[in-house]
Amino acid sequence: MTQPAKAPDGPDHAALIEAIAVRRDRAAFADLFAYFAPRVKAWMLRAGSGPTAAEELAQETMLAVWQKARLFDPARAGASTWIFTIARNLRIDSLRRERHPSDLMPDPLEEPAAPMQADHVLAMSQQEIRIRSALAVLPPEQADVIRKAFFEDKVHAEIEKELGIPLGTVKSRLRLAIGRLRSVLGDLG
Amino acid sequence: MIRHHPSETTLAAYAAGSLPSALSTVAALHLARCPVCRRSLATLEATGGAVLDELTPVPLSGDALSRLLDRVDEPAPAPPPILNPDLPAPLNRMVLGRWWPIGLGARYRPMRAGDGAWGGLVLAQPNRSLPRHGHAGLELTCILSGRFADGSGEYGPGDLSEPVVDHDRPPLVIGTEPCLCVIASEGMKLRGLLGLAQRTIGY
Ligand SMILES: [Zn+2]
Repeated sequence: MTQPAKAPDGPDHAALIEAIAVRRDRAAFADLFAYFAPRVKAWMLRAGSGPTAAEELAQETMLAVWQKARLFDPARAGASTWIFTIARNLRIDSLRRERHPSDLMPDPLEEPAAPMQADHVLAMSQQEIRIRSALAVLPPEQADVIRKAFFEDKVHAEIEKELGIPLGTVKSRLRLAIGRLRSVLGDLG
Repeated sequence: MIRHHPSETTLAAYAAGSLPSALSTVAALHLARCPVCRRSLATLEATGGAVLDELTPVPLSGDALSRLLDRVDEPAPAPPPILNPDLPAPLNRMVLGRWWPIGLGARYRPMRAGDGAWGGLVLAQPNRSLPRHGHAGLELTCILSGRFADGSGEYGPGDLSEPVVDHDRPPLVIGTEPCLCVIASEGMKLRGLLGLAQRTIGY
């Protein structure tokens, strides 16, 4: 397995996804797998899945990447963002299946995204690059709150407890962080 | 016009996938109508992508790729069927119970969200209160039609209510139209008529 030469920036990954969409390109898929599958597995572990579930969910995520490649729209999401949302949705789905194995449940997160106006949006792979640099220079207490939101299966009160700061402070740090990230995207609308 | 939005913590939990799906469903109904929150969500999801890039990779088993390549031509799973064509997505695909009377002319239609939080549709008559469910944890309400008012202001279609404190007054339906809204809560199991209705479909 080889690492794509220009990871982790979006354009190459977006091109790999397009190669899968257009040509069912297995070599492109292998490159994408080498980069993303171990990261998706790492995220599943950080989000609270056990090792077996994390491995399975990483594989299911990559299978969905292959199956949904035609739906990938680089104007709407960078490759990492798109794959993150697929991984996230599969994780939600697996948690629900544990409880109601026979039910087919819709994915609340799959539907609502009325398209953003493409002319107002930077190429999303550019956005990912900017977000990464912005995260790096965010005040540590803001970056901490925003990362925590992605890493642990926690909402609200639990984040409050864990960081030992009042919920109001969690919210205001998140608000500042989101505002900062939005502004680096030149996306103040 | 949308005037009431979810908090940043709720949007972040939605983006991260850590919001129970009953609550996600209510948030999704708001997001479908709120470009401001969709922008924030896009930023948060891009942050999720950046977080994924930052993580230290954890290798999969050695044959994971070849086993996956054997499966790539499997057909993609079909989306769940549309069960309630009269309701907006994602409610249209949710398993819903029937309408149950819950007093004062109000009715409740439970949904099965599947991960412990509960929720459903509430229909309440003008000048009547919406049922209160005793707050423990996060509770979200999104209006589909009609209006209500509580200590924090007036709410109309698309507005999302996320009470920060227990208001001493429950929301009151204002105007001449009945108010149809979707509620969800990660609070404790329901009591009373709402609880009976919810148990017919599960949590
Ligand atoms: Zn909003």
